[in-house]
Amino acid sequence: MSGMTRRDVLGHAARGTVLAGLGGMCGFLAVKARGTDAWQLDPGKCVNSRLGALGVDVCESCASECVLGLSAVRAVNELSQCGRCYVCPAYYDVTSAVGPDGLPSEKLCPRDAIERYPIGWADPDDPANNYYEYVIDETLCNGCGRCVMACKEPYGLGSIRLEVRHDLCLDCNRCAISTACPEDAYERLPVS
Amino acid sequence: MPPRVLLGLICLVLLPFPTGAQPDYSRPVDVAPSEDAIGEGYVTPVVQRPLPLSAARQLLDLALLGAALALSAWIALRRRSRSLGVALTLACLFYFGFYREGCVCPIGSIQNVVLGLAEPAYVVPYFVIGIFVLPLAAALFFGRVFCGGVCPLGAIQEVVLVRPVTVPPRLDRVLGAGKWVYLAAAVGFAVAPLAYRDFVICRFDPFVSFFRFTGTFPMLLFGGLLLGVGLFVGRPYCRWLCPYGALLALASRYAWRSVSITPGRELDCGLCSRACPYGAIDEMRAVRERCLACSRCYGSCPVHRAAAGGPAS
Repeated sequence: MSGMTRRDVLGHAARGTVLAGLGGMCGFLAVKARGTDAWQLDPGKCVNSRLGALGVDVCESCASECVLGLSAVRAVNELSQCGRCYVCPAYYDVTSAVGPDGLPSEKLCPRDAIERYPIGWADPDDPANNYYEYVIDETLCNGCGRCVMACKEPYGLGSIRLEVRHDLCLDCNRCAISTACPEDAYERLPVS
Repeated sequence: MPPRVLLGLICLVLLPFPTGAQPDYSRPVDVAPSEDAIGEGYVTPVVQRPLPLSAARQLLDLALLGAALALSAWIALRRRSRSLGVALTLACLFYFGFYREGCVCPIGSIQNVVLGLAEPAYVVPYFVIGIFVLPLAAALFFGRVFCGGVCPLGAIQEVVLVRPVTVPPRLDRVLGAGKWVYLAAAVGFAVAPLAYRDFVICRFDPFVSFFRFTGTFPMLLFGGLLLGVGLFVGRPYCRWLCPYGALLALASRYAWRSVSITPGRELDCGLCSRACPYGAIDEMRAVRERCLACSRCYGSCPVHRAAAGGPAS
């Protein structure tokens, strides 16, 4: 330790103390830390997907509040739960006039993000006697939630819900949607 | 298949909706049809659920942060090159700023860490702990090398600074207290009861709107104003507002090595004092707490200019 001045020793001591403090703090936090958490939407709280909330105004906070130009929240049709109805209340605006083909003349989605096609061969004379696949185009959907509100008991099976796309979500510390969400449906949770 | 015929009949009955009025639409099925019921070899398509940033990606970001800090220390303390410093700053501005869109950053992570310390139920991810602690540890060894070379918020101010004016030292000192006030407020808002808890640092981050090309009008105005002032006054956010800058200033006091202007390697001429836009050179010596390790002083030093092959003054 020759050549070390009093000043050096004090400096080392101070630095060592601060480093130890930082290390202790990291240790304390790391003991309870987990890998990754991300903003997630609880469909049981979201007014658009919550059962019983029907005929109320659609909440479009997820589409309007996100800091991204096109919201990181998207409607996802859980296909294992989809009824594949001929007249899907989330695809068609069932309050619109009936067109010449016997189907509602207008679609519900303002961005035309839902695709509809028959599964297998559909009899042109009896198109209702078939199942139809409804696929949401993730690049068009902005998470406005109208289809989510329309597809639930008793009109639909509730297969559509809003979800955060974790690859797009910037994981803001202070998620703008979560602050605006009237139902407090957003939480930062571990991703399974 | 009788169930499907029945389904079709129900649907046909339901079809003629009255115009304009809510039709008596009722659901044709009670449960989702199974793959067998749909038939024709139908397989339910997989619903795409993208996962967040993978652990590997987070490790890469931490490694890049560590490497950038080491590089910044090397450039400012050993290589003493302004042009390399600018190159590193720009690279970090593009990666941590525009590409990673400003998140996660050590400045905002202060509040997560404080909340993690104060509240047992609140969990700070490993990634965020690393982001918070790396620049502080670097400051303990080499001074504020994060500010000068790595921080994208500093970098965006560094590039707009075209005509630096000298701020009177006393005014600089008074305004500099702002970052301590901001730090105290940030800690207060982090540990406040849930109803008042607010991640103010992220909320009032002036430059993240520019990194993301989106933002509310007041925040764009605030950021634009700071950049406008920053044309003439060096890094107003870093010197007077940044709460992480306050922590780094504190840590850099105990730094092992720091940016130094030495008679052996530089010229004792005082040109550097005039070149420093941050008022960090007192009597031709760099002040650790205020030095942002930008290497401008070396860029103005006749010795280094001559060594770089340029004109000496």
